Formats: sequence, C-alpha cells, structure tokens
Amino acid sequence: MPKDLTVKDASKWFDSRGQQVIALDRASLSLPAGGFGAIIGPSGCGKSTLLRMVADIIAPSAGSILVGNEKPSTARLEHAIGFVFQSATLLPWRTVRENIALPLAIVGRKSKRVARRTPDELIELVSLQGFEDALPAQLSGGMQQRVSIARALVLAPDILLLDEPFGALDEITRQRMNLELLRIWAESSTTALLVTHSIDEAVFMADSVFVMSPRPGRISQVVDVPLPRPRTLQMMSSKIFFDTVNRVREGLYGIDAQGTADLAAGAPAVVQ
Amino acid sequence: MLLLELSKHAGYLPVTLPAPSQVWSALLANPRGIGLALGETTMNAIRGYAVAIVVALGAAFIAAFVAALRPTIYNLGVGLSSIPLIAATPLLALWLGNGPLTRSLIAGLASYFPLLVGAMQGFRAYETNHMELFHVYSASRWRVFRFLILPSSLPYLFTGFKLAAPLAVLGSLTAELTGAENGIGVLMLNALFNFDIKMVWLTVLVACAMSGAGYAIWALIERLTIYWEAPSNSSG
Ligand SMILES: Nc1ncnc2c1ncn2[C@@H]1O[C@H](COP(=O)(O)OP(=O)(O)OP(=O)(O)O)[C@@H](O)[C@H]1O
Ligand SMILES: [Mg+2]
Repeated sequence: MPKDLTVKDASKWFDSRGQQVIALDRASLSLPAGGFGAIIGPSGCGKSTLLRMVADIIAPSAGSILVGNEKPSTARLEHAIGFVFQSATLLPWRTVRENIALPLAIVGRKSKRVARRTPDELIELVSLQGFEDALPAQLSGGMQQRVSIARALVLAPDILLLDEPFGALDEITRQRMNLELLRIWAESSTTALLVTHSIDEAVFMADSVFVMSPRPGRISQVVDVPLPRPRTLQMMSSKIFFDTVNRVREGLYGIDAQGTADLAAGAPAVVQ
Repeated sequence: MLLLELSKHAGYLPVTLPAPSQVWSALLANPRGIGLALGETTMNAIRGYAVAIVVALGAAFIAAFVAALRPTIYNLGVGLSSIPLIAATPLLALWLGNGPLTRSLIAGLASYFPLLVGAMQGFRAYETNHMELFHVYSASRWRVFRFLILPSSLPYLFTGFKLAAPLAVLGSLTAELTGAENGIGVLMLNALFNFDIKMVWLTVLVACAMSGAGYAIWALIERLTIYWEAPSNSSG
C-alpha cells in the first residue's frame, strides 16, 4: 500500500569545520498516498538533503517527518522505501539481474514484504530484455538508471524517492525515461517524490510541484498541476501546461521579491 | 644473456660476475640439493604466508566491524612490522626451537604488513552511495560485508597479496641465515663463505624466481577474480 508523506518544519544543519551550514530551513510539504510530487530548486538548496531525511539516510536537526504516520526509520526497517540515486549506484560486479535482485538478497527470505515482483518481470518493465546478464559497465547511462529504478521497485516500495534520476541524460532519452517512469509509477501503486532541476519535467510528472528557494533552502511555494492522467507528450503544448510552468518559474525566479518578505515574516510556506 | 656470456669469455667481467653458463652448471652440479633447498624455503614461505593472511585478514575484519579497535590493530601492526627479522629469528628459535615453525613464523612476520594495510584500506574502499543504498534497505552488518565491503576491497586485497608474496620468500630466506640446516638461504650463506660466486648467483636467481612466481600467481588470480574491471585498469 502506498504511504502518504508529511514533512513539517524539517530543518537540517551541518557542522563543517566549526562552521554551521544550514542546508534546509523549516521545510514543510505533504503528499497523499499514491501521489506524485516533484521538488524543484536551485543547486545546493537542500533537495537531496530533504530526500535523504525522508529515506532516513540522515536525521533532521529539527522538525518532523512522517511516512504513512510512522517515523522514516520505521518505514526503512519495513523496507517500504525505494531510493533512486542521482548516479545509478549499481554494484559493478553484479549483472543487471543480480543488481535488480540485490534488495531481495539483502532483505533475505524473512522479510514480511509480500508484494514483490520478480527481477525478470522488472527487467521487462524497464525494457531491458536481453541485457539480464550484462554487467553495468556494458550499459549506457540511461540503461543503468533504468536498472536502478527496477532495483528500487523490486520490494514494491510504498514510497519511491528519486534524486535527479535522469540528470545526467540527454534531453531525448530523458523524456523517454520520464514517460517510462510515469507508466511504471501508475502500474506500481506507490507514492513518488522526484527531485529535478527541470521545470518542464516537474510539471509534466507531478501532481504537486514543491518550489524551493536558495540557501538557506526552504519550500517557498507549492504549485498544483491540473493536468489529467495519464500524461501524454501532447499535453506539453497545452495551455494548462504552459500556465503551470509559468507559475513554477515565477516561484523560482520571483523568489527575491517575495521570498525575502516571507523569510522576514518568519512564516513557513503555505502548504496544503 | 648472450651479451653477458660473451663478455665473460672475453674477460670483460669481474670475478664477482659469472657467465650465465657457469651459473647453469652450478645448478646441474647438484640439482637434487637445490631442489630440496627450494622445497624447504618455499614450504616455510607458504606456511608463514598462509598464517599471515589469516591473521591480517582476521584483524582487518575485526577492525571493519569494531571501529573502536581500528587504531589499536593498526598500531599493533605497525609496531610488529618494525621488529628486525634478523634479530627476531634467534629469539624465536630459543622459544619455539630451531625448526620450520620458527622459520615459517618469520616468513609470516615478514609478509603480513602489506596484507593488513591492504585489507584495512580495502574494507573501507566501498563507495559512500553504495553504503547508503545498503542503509536504505536496512542491511545487516554481515550482508553489508558480504555484498559490498568484501567485493569492493578485492583490488586492495590483491595488491596486498601480491606485495606480501615476495616478502614471505625473503622472510623465509632471512630466517635460514641464522642456524638452519637446509634451504636456499643456507646455500646462499655457504656459497658466500666459500666464495662460490656461481652458487651465490644461482641462489639469488632462484630467490628472485620464487618471489616473482608468488607475485605472478596472485596477479593471475586477481585477473580471473575481478572480472568486472577491464585488465587495463587493474594494477596487475
Ligand atoms: N554532509 C554534509 N556536510 C556539510 N554540508 C552539507 C552536507 N550535505 C549537504 N551539505 C550542504 O547542504 C546544502 C544542501 O545540499 P544538497 O545536497 O541537499 O543540495 P541539492 O539541492 O541537492 O543540490 P544539487 O541540486 O546540486 O544536488 C549545500 O550547501 C551543501 O553544501
Ligand atoms: Mg542533490
């Protein structure tokens, strides 16, 4: 079952050589179970930090995060989280099939998670038939990232976190991968949260776009995308798409005019 | 080789440098004796090397699991490696007897340090984002070791294996210099005392061959094991 996500005033500061760096400043967002959210913001604003806190890779310095009304650590121990890193993060000594099966090997047979897909089904889902026994070094960047998506799905996660999964790919491949990802998401019944640098991508993929302001990072705006599903490439030339993209763009670039006022007032961004 | 042979016959070379044919004839003069000595030295080297592998990898394994012990293990390793072997041999012989046991241990002592360093470095050579992946799946420490730390460490382990093999041979030889009855080291020492230049060179060449073989065997195993890396990238 997909899990909803609630982040409330989550902050993270790092101590680097005596100096305190605020990576994330009272970020709040909420995403319904089965929803698709996108986080967009300039480099260094704390997007990865936020995602890593949701996955319980790092702990928030303040604030709370709930994954399906539980702490992230609980969700993690239930193997309910799928994570796709910015780089494919495949183990070079494992074949495609073995990499996809890695979570199964890690979790072992004792796991309570039942809704699993076999690695071979996932290879088909990400269209990598014929490459089952290839090593990661023999694959293109896009293929590697598809392997890592398949790996993230093998335990049927309740929430799928994607940190700029296609950031390194060219525009064409990227668009194809996005369509595939949407198809996979629709078939997988999971909540998805995608970090991206691309406004078009965020709007095309998500139900809600969370716009972040630069350092210290915080979520300054939430833009809902009123496009129906399934999304098609034709929608990218629709007026709704165009208008939504503009609202996100204003959120990103109008930040200094509005964002400073917000920060001065100390009010957290409005989140529904 | 040919050049060496010719220069010798022409009288260009000093007495301390024999012609290759003279070294060869030294081998032919007593192949059985040299074979026995070779076997003795090799056996001690291999036994000591095996012990060193078990101890060094065991220690590194513990250090990988118990971070608090890491400095202790490392410092102990450094301290142990600074013992001069030529002095340690008679001491060990006093306690353990002047036999293969002592000489094997010296070979182990001579070779464990690169193994320890290689393993300790190797067990920390995994990539951070790989470790984060294992963390997201709440992997047990054993599975992290088996699926991530160990495979990531293999290039470092093999570097240790390759460097340590010649050292084990050298240790085994050194241990024979103080009171052994048989071995390449003994032949070398006797030849030195008798000013038997051909024999000195023969033993030196045999020792080099042993060291080289030890290195080469591991380089081969490495190449067959680390199949996911292009040969041009490996240090072999
Ligand atoms: N472990 C850390 N120690 C110190 N500072 C850190 C650490 N991790 C992140 N930061 C800092 O926190 C800030 C946010 O980093 P983060 O990686 O979350 O940004 P990002 O939005 O994902 O950027 P990008 O789009 O470039 O990936 C940065 O200023 C970064 O330097
Ligand atoms: Mg990032």
